[in-house]
Amino acid sequence: MKRLLVAMSTLALLLPANAFARGEFDPTTEFEQKEWIPIHLGPIDMSITKAVAYLMIATVVTIAFGLFFMRGTPGRKAGRRETIGELVYDVAQQQVAEQGLPHKAIGRWFPYVATLMLFIFIVNFLGFIPLPLTGETWHGIPVWGIYAATSSISVTLALALLTFFFTHIEGIRWNGPVRYFKSWIPDAPKLLLGLIVPLEILGQFMRLISLSVRLFANMLAGHILILTFIGLIFILQSLVLAVFVVPVAAVFYMFEVVIVIGIQAFIFAALSAIYIGSAIEPEH
Amino acid sequence: MSNLLIAATSVSNSPITHAGKAIGLALGVGLGALGAGIGIGNIFSSMIQSVARQPELRGELTGIQWLGFALTEAVVFYGLLGSILAYVLV
Repeated sequence: MKRLLVAMSTLALLLPANAFARGEFDPTTEFEQKEWIPIHLGPIDMSITKAVAYLMIATVVTIAFGLFFMRGTPGRKAGRRETIGELVYDVAQQQVAEQGLPHKAIGRWFPYVATLMLFIFIVNFLGFIPLPLTGETWHGIPVWGIYAATSSISVTLALALLTFFFTHIEGIRWNGPVRYFKSWIPDAPKLLLGLIVPLEILGQFMRLISLSVRLFANMLAGHILILTFIGLIFILQSLVLAVFVVPVAAVFYMFEVVIVIGIQAFIFAALSAIYIGSAIEPEH
Repeated sequence: MSNLLIAATSVSNSPITHAGKAIGLALGVGLGALGAGIGIGNIFSSMIQSVARQPELRGELTGIQWLGFALTEAVVFYGLLGSILAYVLV
């Protein structure tokens, strides 16, 4: 078995005589946004692109998920369908909302963080299901491919901006503007304050970057990894390589689907809850 | 050496520039992965120790563990993003 593998790998490297003469394939082209239905309102570009199409599907699926799994018929025993719904609800309530939000704000902000978690999970999950939405055709048949809307920074930045604005609006609403902005100034010697306060203000904006870039880069890197490994077949123009690269790509695929997409959705929602909670109840 | 540097800076398409960009990209991602690897190892080792000492806290700790995992793991991607930006822009 081992000898076979070694022989195969030698063969794979020897076979393409012009192995390093590059093929046409480039994984980054998978992430280009082409305008399918151009909509331009003055300077605002609202065209329907691949990411928009994926977001629309994800919205419909999220609503359907809620309607299907979360609606129990009263008077009947909860079946498997309701159990899945309760599982999602439990995670959203106990692990996300109650960890970050103070008790008095949970009624108002639980729906937001729960929706965020479910929506990001479904957008991420759709990104790993092959769909005929690549916008390319092969002999008239649409090409199937994987693409996640969250691997576009506009999508994640929009979601992070929502959390950013809600954080400050809630902070001002509960504490009043003076007390809220005063809570940014920590207890420190007067000399150090000139150094710390700009850092605190910068930190508020760094949250925006870290929230959006974490999700965006995770999904982008995951897709690039899978596509690059499969793309090695086309880049090196050797079909024998498929023996190695397809299992490796499959392992990364499983890792992304089982661990990463759930964690990223959870993290985004949990951090949103923590940020909003810490604005409502500042430490001092 | 100085001739080499001048050649590299004046001709942005020279092989040396390409090599430098590739090295920069790999170095950024690699160092990011190094740091994140150490961090993630720390998180999971602490988690194992905590659960071994107090198994009844497992449920509460799991949430914190995954939060820490994702926060640490993201460091790789900040490195990756910075490297790709450097790769594309330079």
